This record gives sequence, C-alpha cells and structure tokens, in this order.
Amino acid sequence: MRKMESNELNIAWCYPDMLNLHGDRGNIMALERIGKMLGLNVNVKKIESFQTEINFDKTDILFFNVGEIRIIESIVDALNKQKEELDRFIENNKMIIAIGTTGAAFGKKLIKLDGKQIDCLGYLDMDCNQRDMVYGNDIIFKLNEDESVEINGNQIQMLDIKTNGATILGTVSYGRGNNGEDKGEGAKYKNLVFTNTLGPVLVKNPWYTEKLIKTAMATKGIQIENSIPDTDFEVERKSIECIKEYNAKKEKK
Amino acid sequence: MERVRFVIALFVGKILVFLTKLVSKERGTNIPGAYANKIKKDFIKGFKDVNYDKTIFITGTNGKSTTNNIIVHTLKTAGKTVTTNIEGANLIGGIATALIKNSSLSGKIKTEFLCFEVDERSLARIHEYLPAKNLCITNLQKDQVQRNGEPDYIYQKLKKVINKEMTLFLNNEEPRVKSYEDFLENVVYYGVDKNDTSFIKDGFYDVTLPCPKCNDKIKFEYYNVDNVGKFLCTNCNFKSENEPNVFIKNINFETKEFECDGHKYKVPYNQPFFMYNYALCIAICNKFEIPVDKQEEAFSTFKNISGRLETIQYGTKEIKYIRMKQENPETLQSAIDYISRDNKPKIFMLGLEQLEDFKPYYTNTFYAFDCNVDALNKSNIERYICFSEAVAYDSANRLIYAGVDKNKISILPTDSDSEILKELDKYDCDNVYLITWLHKYEELIKDVAKLKEMSEKNGK
Repeated sequence: MRKMESNELNIAWCYPDMLNLHGDRGNIMALERIGKMLGLNVNVKKIESFQTEINFDKTDILFFNVGEIRIIESIVDALNKQKEELDRFIENNKMIIAIGTTGAAFGKKLIKLDGKQIDCLGYLDMDCNQRDMVYGNDIIFKLNEDESVEINGNQIQMLDIKTNGATILGTVSYGRGNNGEDKGEGAKYKNLVFTNTLGPVLVKNPWYTEKLIKTAMATKGIQIENSIPDTDFEVERKSIECIKEYNAKKEKK
Repeated sequence: MERVRFVIALFVGKILVFLTKLVSKERGTNIPGAYANKIKKDFIKGFKDVNYDKTIFITGTNGKSTTNNIIVHTLKTAGKTVTTNIEGANLIGGIATALIKNSSLSGKIKTEFLCFEVDERSLARIHEYLPAKNLCITNLQKDQVQRNGEPDYIYQKLKKVINKEMTLFLNNEEPRVKSYEDFLENVVYYGVDKNDTSFIKDGFYDVTLPCPKCNDKIKFEYYNVDNVGKFLCTNCNFKSENEPNVFIKNINFETKEFECDGHKYKVPYNQPFFMYNYALCIAICNKFEIPVDKQEEAFSTFKNISGRLETIQYGTKEIKYIRMKQENPETLQSAIDYISRDNKPKIFMLGLEQLEDFKPYYTNTFYAFDCNVDALNKSNIERYICFSEAVAYDSANRLIYAGVDKNKISILPTDSDSEILKELDKYDCDNVYLITWLHKYEELIKDVAKLKEMSEKNGK
C-alpha cells in the first residue's frame, strides 16, 4: 500500500432527485463531513439524470440513496447502458453503496405487487418481493465481517428480501432486517454494500462511514493511517445508547 | 333485511351522537359512525337522497382540513346546506358520523351538498360506498412513512378511485397530483402565480422529485411552497400549465388581497399555502356557480379553526408553539422557516419525539434531513434545547449538521417537563419557540399551569 499521496475522495451521488426519500441526502453530508475529518478533499458529483453517463474512472464511491419502488426499473435500465464499466468497477473492488429499496436494483429480480417481474443487475444473489403493507421500526445490527461495528437506524420496509447466495452484511440484534426471519441485514459483494438501514445510516453511525471511506480509499491504493477520535462521535454514541434503552422498554408502554 | 340493519345502525348512531355530545364534543365526531359501521359494514351506502354530483371529497397530504373548511364556509355563505366533517374526523367513522347527524330517522340526507375531507388511505373504501363525483387532490408528499412508506404508495391507492364519472380538481403546480390528468379528461387545474414569497432552491443538497410519468428529474422554475411551484420534467416535457383553469395572481401580501379571473379577493390569511386552498375553493365555486360576491364575502369572514401557532405564557417567557404533523417534512420545514424569519434573540426548543401512534414504536428523525435548517443558524438563536427520551441526540445532530455550534445546544434525553422547563429557566431570553408533537405540547401546557398554580399558592 502506498501512503496517502492523493487525498481526493470522489463520490458520484447517483440520481439525487429521483432517489430522494427519507432524508437520505444526509448520507452524502456524512460522507463529506467524515471525509473532511479524515483530512480528505471530498468531491461529490451529482449524476442528475438517467441519461447522464457515469465516469467510473473518476469515481471512488458510487452512491445510491433510497427511492420509490417504481424507480428501481429506471436505475436498472440506466446502469445496464454502462454494464461493462459497472462490472469492471465492481470486480476491481470499487465501492458502491445502495440504501433501502434501491438495493433491489443490484439483486437478481424484483417482483412487484402487480405481479410484474423486473430482472435486476444481478450482482447480489437475492430476490425481492414488494410488500403489501409497510413495516417501520428501528434496526440495530453488527457487521458480519467485523462484529465490533454496531449500526443503528430505522427501517421502512416495502420489500421482503430473500438472500440466496449473497453474503449477508450484518446480523440483526433488534428489528427486522431483510425479511424478519433469518436475522440477516443487507448484503454485500466485494465492496458493493447494500443496507436497508435509514436514519440516515451514515449520519447515525459515523464510525461505519469512516470505515467505508477508508476501504474506498484503500482500493485506490491509499492507506489512511489516522482515525477519528471516538470522542468526536459522542453525540452519535449517546444516541444509540438512548435508542437501545428505549427499545428495551418500549414493549411495556 | 339490509334496510332493517341500516336503520338499526342509524338508530344506534343517533343515540350515540346524543350521548357522546354529553361526554365529549371531540369524541362525538367519530364514535357514533364507527359503531354504526360495525353494525353494517357498508353503512354509509344506505343513506337516501345523496346527490353524488354535489358530493365533494378533498384528499391529499397537506391542506385538506383547511380547504374543506373554506369550501364549506363558502357554500354556507352562499346559502347552501352542507353535510361535512369540518371537525377533521376524516376516516370512515367520521364521515358516517357526519351523515348520521345530517339525516332523518329514515336515513334521508337533509343537505344539498356533501363535502368531506378524506384520509388518503381511506379514500378507496369510502368512495366505494359514497361515490362522490368531485375529487380534489391537494398534494402528495412524504408523510407518515411508517404507514405510507413512500408517496407512490398513496398515489397508487388514489389512482384506483378515479373513474370517468368524476371531475378531478388537481393542483397544477404539484407534479404528482398533476399527473393524474392522464387518467381522466374531466380535469380542473388550480394554481397560484409567481409572487413575492416565491423562492428558488439551488443549493448543492437541494433535491426535487422524480417525474411521476417517466421517473426522470423534475425541475422547478420556482416554488410557491415547498415542493409546489412551476415545474418541468427534464426528460419527457411533463409540466405545469401556464394558465390553469383557476389561477390566483397579483397577490399583495401586505394588503392581503389577490386577483382571480378579474375579481379581487380580500382574505384574512395570507400564508402562501393558503393561496392554494383559496384557489381550490374558487374552482369548486365555479363548478357549482356560487356567485363571486358570495365567495368574496366568505373569504373575508373565514376563520381558520386548525391554526398551527399557539402561545403559552411561562413566567416572563412567551413560548410560541408551532404545530407540525408527525413524520411530515413539509410541516417541519414550514415551522423552521417561520422561526427563522424572526431575527430577534430567541431560544429554540426542539422535541421531535419518538413515534408512538402504533406498534412497533420507533425513533425516526430522518425526515429532519429532508428539511433545510441552515436558516435557523443565522436567525439569532441564543440557545437550542433538544429534548426527548430517545431522539434528543439525533435531533441535536441535525442541527450540528447545519453548522450549529455544539456548545449552544442543550441535549436532554428526557420527556420530563420539569427537567425541560428547568433547562429553559437557565436562560434569560423571553422569546421562545417550540416545535414538538401536539400531545407533548398539551402535556407541557398542563405542567406549566400546575407550576403556575403552585407558585401562586406558595406566594400566598
């Protein structure tokens, strides 16, 4: 690994106006904030239209926030136009983050309530079914690859997700996760990360944001040695403690 | 047999109307109808002499109560009789109650018009039994996500109700609502022209919404209220009409006047969102040939019973409470904008609170990231107080992300009013703003009154 030579973190914020639910633009704010705390120059480029080409060569993180289910098909169509470049991006361990229902675009297939099947991009071996009823709750999980990383947020679940061969991102200690049955939350393939967690997740869990940024920088050969002191995350640490306490006693309310 | 069952349900309903009036006026708006519906599932279908051509439903995320109230007031001013749920009970129980109250013992409706505010999720069921031929849709925004998930979830539910028998009254400047034009020819567009309070949003983090027709980006030339304004899809050319059927123009916010179709109206409420309520009311009045002078008279005498600003006196402090709807970024944004416009030194108390309407309770504050809160930071706030058992830290974090100095924020992970007021006591400033849920505000009023009573006793 090279020591930090270039301190540029280049984020492509995909379709911000179309994927605009649940305050998730906060995730981009969090990447910018934590990136700066790590001493990086953070450049965020908006990919404003489904017709806009993504410059994969100048992207370190390709970011997709949560949108309405009807948008998933448009994401799939848009990315299929650059499928070879996307394949290369993913196989080269470059980072993609997909939040909420948008994750379905990277799965195998999505079956909508009207029975229509959408063949998705297929990087994550999982199938999604649109739910008839919305399910909303808090979620707390630990990363499977590093159990010291605990993540909290909310879920507004409009999909049931069956992970077939996909690597599961985390194990749920509170809440529903992918389907409410197997304790699995999210999925991962190389550095393509999908989570159902809202909050915005990268605002509420800056330690995870830091980890993601470091991984993204490492894939372009830049090792970030310094870490943000945990005292800088005091507000977020206290938040998760309050929420755990609340969830432990809320059933009695 | 069906009719007998209806008459029994109606009779029970009428008794309950009488009894609930004795106990509580509020509960009387829903309970009688809810019981009648239990006795007969399609109870509201059984009423006679309902003129569906003169039945008006108003639905949408925001503005339905106030618009309903303005329309009803205007129809009544014009001498019409109206059955309505003006008290805001907008589920099937509330509508059934209104019908019970305005019908004879045999179930004959006594009024010429029926005008109801209808909950978006309940519209399909209500319309099945009471097929109104006038459907007004105000706007479809992010709202109550634990129930509604995403705006398209509600969009699809409303779409199923539209049929060729009806007239649709659509907000010309709200893209989702305007796109219902594809499903019916009989559409009346209502809108508001660019005015002194119109604004643009061109910050890096400002986002719009996907086109309801092609999914690509909607661009707003300007906004009249958040997410409502002159728009154009950047891909498919879907856009707001330049001259909708009813178009409010030349708004003078100082004199509280506007023009529409050559007539001048003077109004008591001049907030930008009210203009859309007036516009929809004029559209309805045009259809039913309500004379303009009656419209003008009604607008000038209208009193809004669902205001969002209240004040409590706490010692020398005046706490101005601004209501917001839970999990509704538009109403939070309006509240924040209102506070930001006051440049006097002030304290801002933010109690977003956990969501406890139904189980599982949860701790969502993410809708605060849909709002632009940066203006607060430039509006002379001396102290921020964030409170709530579970989400005080998350609320504070939203402010920190807007650039508020952490040291200016008191974070109280509690819902105890005494602790909240104790914190407030530490600061001299008497100009205080509060945003929280209605039930929390009501608790606070009671506790402030108790404290006042105690201090008066001690004083004696």
